[in-house]
Amino acid sequence: MTASAASIPHGHDHGHSGHGDDHGHGHVTLQYQPGLPLSRGKLIMWLFLSTEIMFFAALLGSYVVLRFGASVWPKPHHVHLSEPIGAFNTFVLICSSVTVVLALEAARVNKTSLAKLWMVLTFLLGAVFLGVKAYEYVAKFDHGIYPASPRGRLYERPDLYYGSAVRARLDELRREPTSGWSAAKYRWAVWRHGSPQAAALAGWKEPETVDRLKELDEMPESALSAEQQESRRRLQQIQKMLASPDQQAFDMAVVADQVMPLPSEGPGGGAHHGGGHGLNDAFPWLKLPVVIPGGNMWASTYFLLTGFHAVHVIVGLIVFAILLTYRLGAKQAGMIENAGLYWHFVDLVWIFLFPLMYLF
Amino acid sequence: MSDHGSHSHGPVTRAGESADDALEHAREAAHGDAGSHGEHGGLGKYLLVFLALCGLTTMSFFTYSAAWPWRDQPQVGWAFMMAVSCTKAMLVILFFMHVWWEANWKYVLTIPAAMMALFLGIMLVPDVGMRNRMVSQERALHMARGSDLRLIEEASAASAASAAH
Repeated sequence: MTASAASIPHGHDHGHSGHGDDHGHGHVTLQYQPGLPLSRGKLIMWLFLSTEIMFFAALLGSYVVLRFGASVWPKPHHVHLSEPIGAFNTFVLICSSVTVVLALEAARVNKTSLAKLWMVLTFLLGAVFLGVKAYEYVAKFDHGIYPASPRGRLYERPDLYYGSAVRARLDELRREPTSGWSAAKYRWAVWRHGSPQAAALAGWKEPETVDRLKELDEMPESALSAEQQESRRRLQQIQKMLASPDQQAFDMAVVADQVMPLPSEGPGGGAHHGGGHGLNDAFPWLKLPVVIPGGNMWASTYFLLTGFHAVHVIVGLIVFAILLTYRLGAKQAGMIENAGLYWHFVDLVWIFLFPLMYLF
Repeated sequence: MSDHGSHSHGPVTRAGESADDALEHAREAAHGDAGSHGEHGGLGKYLLVFLALCGLTTMSFFTYSAAWPWRDQPQVGWAFMMAVSCTKAMLVILFFMHVWWEANWKYVLTIPAAMMALFLGIMLVPDVGMRNRMVSQERALHMARGSDLRLIEEASAASAASAAH
């Protein structure tokens, strides 16, 4: 064990006699000395984590470039981020880091059932984190914030392009199919036959449509709450503005503000204005395009960073689930330690993601 | 050099032990002074670190509260939050990941990785400054500007004023 060289070739039968380099004779004994005094599993885990450090450093670095190089970046409230929810998730991850450490300590002294208890708690806390994350994602989706265009309803500026997008959506609402299924079947038929005319010749009828806007306009006042009546009046107003031939740039800003106001800054922001006051909030089926300056780039970075982090959390949960099938005694302590190292790293990434995403 | 004369063909180990066991012995020998299991702090130390982490999270959350005195200078808050995050990261790495108690191999792995991450960050600095130097016409047309934000805020103020009347 005291040999200092990594490997010492020895001609066995010949000792140190003249032809030391001649390996053709007999065989060579290689004597190994561990390079680093730690187990293989732990070494590999640390090497893996050092690649992970660089992976997330690159992602966070790109975020910083995009964030601080952008001419406009949305405030957390503009994109419906909730700081208390983010702080709660930070707390959950810190707790799970403690429980996994305690599981390791319990396993080391062979308290298997205690180790299992801590491990189950760790798993549950990880699941809570993911649940909260999913809830936050759904909140984004509800506001039309998606990382890409087919579903995303984000526009960068209240300009003519935005105005025409709102008009297009209003036109869609004027002839919305009564059943989504028959509309999908019809779309498929049009695609198969090449054109609506060909589909009509083949016997396909256009699906029945309903004018949702007319329905709303004709609704008796008694069927609507005071707030809904007010929202209906505002919706009619922006329809007039959009149809007006001499509209100004400012008009589109008014439309954007009516559809989804940008809540003001600070705690309680959006309570006096915005919050539930946008037309999209008053009538969720409207799904009108919204303007969030810088919102598209924000959505891309947010979903990429938190998405990669969530994938890491999912992998951690799978590892914990596998560990839970073992008897968590002293023999398994090495495994728990390695899983724990990974989990602490996931926690570490969130420690930086939380302020960068929610508080900057 | 005790094994020199022997005819063992494998890695240098004591009789009847695998290479991993030998590593384990070597590791224990490397920091045997701290005792058998007391070396990793124990429950009290972990709880202390946990409380510190919670306290630090509350501190960075404080920048969001109305009591934060530098609301009009976001850079102060950013620097503060990054300092808090680095402190939290160090606490997690040192105590939860046991690096505090590890032998010197820790430097071999962590320092190169940290340097790579740091260089990567520094290399991106020019990109931050020059991101909008070269903008295609199409992007310039659709890119949001500060004026767009002000326009919407004015519209919002105007509609709030008309609602008040």
